[in-house]
Amino acid sequence: MSAETRVPVPEVPGAAPPAPAGARVRDRLPRPLREIDWIAFWPLAVMVLIIVVTALRSPHYFTVFNFENILSQVAPLGIVTMGQTILLISAGLDLSVGYNIALASIVTGLLLERGQPLWLCIAAGIAASTVVGFTNGVLVAQNRAHPFIITLGMSIFLFGLDTQLTGGAPVNDMKGLYTAFGGYLPNGFPFFGLPSLTIPLLIVVAFTFAFLRWSPLGRRAYAIGGNEEAAYLSGVPIKRSKIYLYTLMGVLVGITGMVLAGQINEASFNLAQNFELESIACAVIGGTALFGGRGGALRSLQGVALWGVVQNAIVFAGLSSNYQEMALGAVIVVAVMVQRAQR
Amino acid sequence: MTETQQPLLAVENVDKHFPGVQALKSVSLTLVAGEVHGLVGQNGAGKSTLVKCISGVYAPDGGCIVLDGEPIGTYSPKHAVDLGIAVVHQRAQLLPWLSVAENVMLGHFPTRVRGIIDRHRANQLTRELLERFRLEIDPEVKVTQLATPERQQVAIAKALYGRAKLLILDEPTAALDAARAERLFALVEDLQRHDVGVLYVSHHLEEVFRLADRITVLRDGELVATRPTCELDQSEVVTLMAGRRLEAPPRAPAKAAGNGKAEAIVLEAVSTDVLHDVALAVHAGEVVGITGVIGAGGHEIARLLFGLDRPRTGRLLLGGNAYAPRGPLQAIDRGLFTVPEDAAGEGLVPWLSVAANITLVDLPAITRAGLLSLGRERAFARRFVDRLAIAARSPDTPVRTLSGGNQQKVLLAKALAAEAGVLVLEEPTQGVDVHAKAEIHRIVRALAAEGKAVIVISTDIRDLLEFVDRVVALRDGQVVEDVAAAETSYAELLDLTVGAVKAVAS
Repeated sequence: MSAETRVPVPEVPGAAPPAPAGARVRDRLPRPLREIDWIAFWPLAVMVLIIVVTALRSPHYFTVFNFENILSQVAPLGIVTMGQTILLISAGLDLSVGYNIALASIVTGLLLERGQPLWLCIAAGIAASTVVGFTNGVLVAQNRAHPFIITLGMSIFLFGLDTQLTGGAPVNDMKGLYTAFGGYLPNGFPFFGLPSLTIPLLIVVAFTFAFLRWSPLGRRAYAIGGNEEAAYLSGVPIKRSKIYLYTLMGVLVGITGMVLAGQINEASFNLAQNFELESIACAVIGGTALFGGRGGALRSLQGVALWGVVQNAIVFAGLSSNYQEMALGAVIVVAVMVQRAQR
Repeated sequence: MTETQQPLLAVENVDKHFPGVQALKSVSLTLVAGEVHGLVGQNGAGKSTLVKCISGVYAPDGGCIVLDGEPIGTYSPKHAVDLGIAVVHQRAQLLPWLSVAENVMLGHFPTRVRGIIDRHRANQLTRELLERFRLEIDPEVKVTQLATPERQQVAIAKALYGRAKLLILDEPTAALDAARAERLFALVEDLQRHDVGVLYVSHHLEEVFRLADRITVLRDGELVATRPTCELDQSEVVTLMAGRRLEAPPRAPAKAAGNGKAEAIVLEAVSTDVLHDVALAVHAGEVVGITGVIGAGGHEIARLLFGLDRPRTGRLLLGGNAYAPRGPLQAIDRGLFTVPEDAAGEGLVPWLSVAANITLVDLPAITRAGLLSLGRERAFARRFVDRLAIAARSPDTPVRTLSGGNQQKVLLAKALAAEAGVLVLEEPTQGVDVHAKAEIHRIVRALAAEGKAVIVISTDIRDLLEFVDRVVALRDGQVVEDVAAAETSYAELLDLTVGAVKAVAS
């Protein structure tokens, strides 16, 4: 009974409950535009607003150089946010990404120090983080414990492992990785001198978009996150899917580790501090649900973009970096409120 | 004695509508202090709606509810508790990690100075309370350590400590064995002596007859009768619940049960914690209804068939071969699909589209070179959307925006998409309007005509009789009847499933 009262019947506009504001405007749009959930783009709108205001106030803001700077600052975070997005959609999450990124960079860095070939070092680094992801997956799938506590435990374990491996001292020469990701692309078509990190970021975003839209595993992630019981009763192999998803996260973490270590030419245990929380925050700000079932690569990407623009604008406003945290905290709360309102 | 007293509870001409249904039509009922009042009726008769109105979950649309001569002004569960109305549900609602005393005292903790909880006194008060009702439960143990019947007793004790004047027991014996049920009855009789009014809602007529001073029968949301128990007998009540004594068998000429057709699914002497020695065979092209009160075993049969439980003894055969699925995935692979009872809760993924929900059971069908083909998915889904006349703007519409009846049809579409030869439907018409019900009947018949074996598990006997070929009646986990739908009637089945015990003995 109560289900009937809640559910609006789409065909009969008169019988529907009071339509949300803006619905009338939407009804006049052509069909394909009508299907779009415009509220989901609020982070982009806020971003544009911040850009306009800051550009009006400081003449040095609206430059190619500044935007390249923002891009190179958020690109590694963007990559790991894609992995976090996939897990959040499946109602999971990974709090071990920060020290797992560090682990990948450390394994690669230590092998590079010993003069191993670059491809081997990269393969070993990504393999290390993938094994961690796989382990997270097995633990989450086998236990009924929340991934929050499992991956938190993994994070603390990895912190110990990372410091043990490096003895606390960073590896300071990433050799070929620095060549690849420390600089800029050729200043002409088609790269326009963008930071070289742009390439892996774009590849990972495109991959995540395609994975969530066109792969059976991506679809299962939505089903598990949306209603695990229903997914199970529909014949979705829950445990196997979760293990795959966390393993995939491990691979993306490894890529982040390579990119980040190459960018700053260093491998250390605190390479990616706070990435676990920042990546979850970016995904949620962009519109990926914290408790599963909804979200996507492009949504999360706009969260990452807003994150980068806010941080940068605060510097331009001449405020201390303490205000960055305050502003970002506020953005997270607003994002959660917008998501609640959409329900 | 009852006529002269001011009633403790008076329900006066209460109406309650839901979209498409009038759940209660001008229902009136009185209950005096110290009375046990039985409330009976078939599924959908309005018992639980009435209980929810009295306990403040729903506000009546018309009429009023009077407690101790004062009309209840605001309808909220909290207000009802404050007024002294307590409901004990089948599944006791307690906080499992707190102790018995903490649960009982919750909200009324005795405190020492400055608001510090006096744990010792809380235990002492609880012990006195439990002793008063001769319950041998240690107030200091955690609720998790208690068995279901003991939890229920704690829930009742909690309700009484909150100074309940009116206790509503909703199917209280569903989870109890005979000995425990006895103790509950003793408790109810004791309450009666303490001048607590008890509204006793149950499917089990023997219990109602044993305990109740008066019995009220509801049918289709209307009050049929309120009479002193001594003026009634069980078969009379069954007749009152059913309406007319004689009901024309509503089924059109049933094809003799699966004549000549292969047996699609067979249960051979299957026993579990709930089921006892259940034997059952369903043929291809046949619709078999399984009915019985909640807890009689229908749900357990569905769980067995879908691989969610395993039989303790006995075995299952699917298409003549041994069948022991380890879970839904294997069951679907073998060609059996179960549509769960609670569409929104267990069956569908609300944020996914109609198409994605349907194809979830068979992603390989729309996968090409390892990727989902969204065009194929839409076409695949549209076939079912059209065939079942699902009212959705497009296959891309999220399922959560559909009405209950259409969500139920999406579930049926999943069953079709699974290409199962055996379909098990749990309560397929629960909570859907008359129109959607008729459509679901039609779809089920069409599936059988295609040669599928369909098992419909439902507590709604009248609804079942409208579209099944054969009915299996369950009682306390045993098959008490297995008969062609045309050769039985609503009244007979009702009697077998809820009436006097004689049916089991045969």
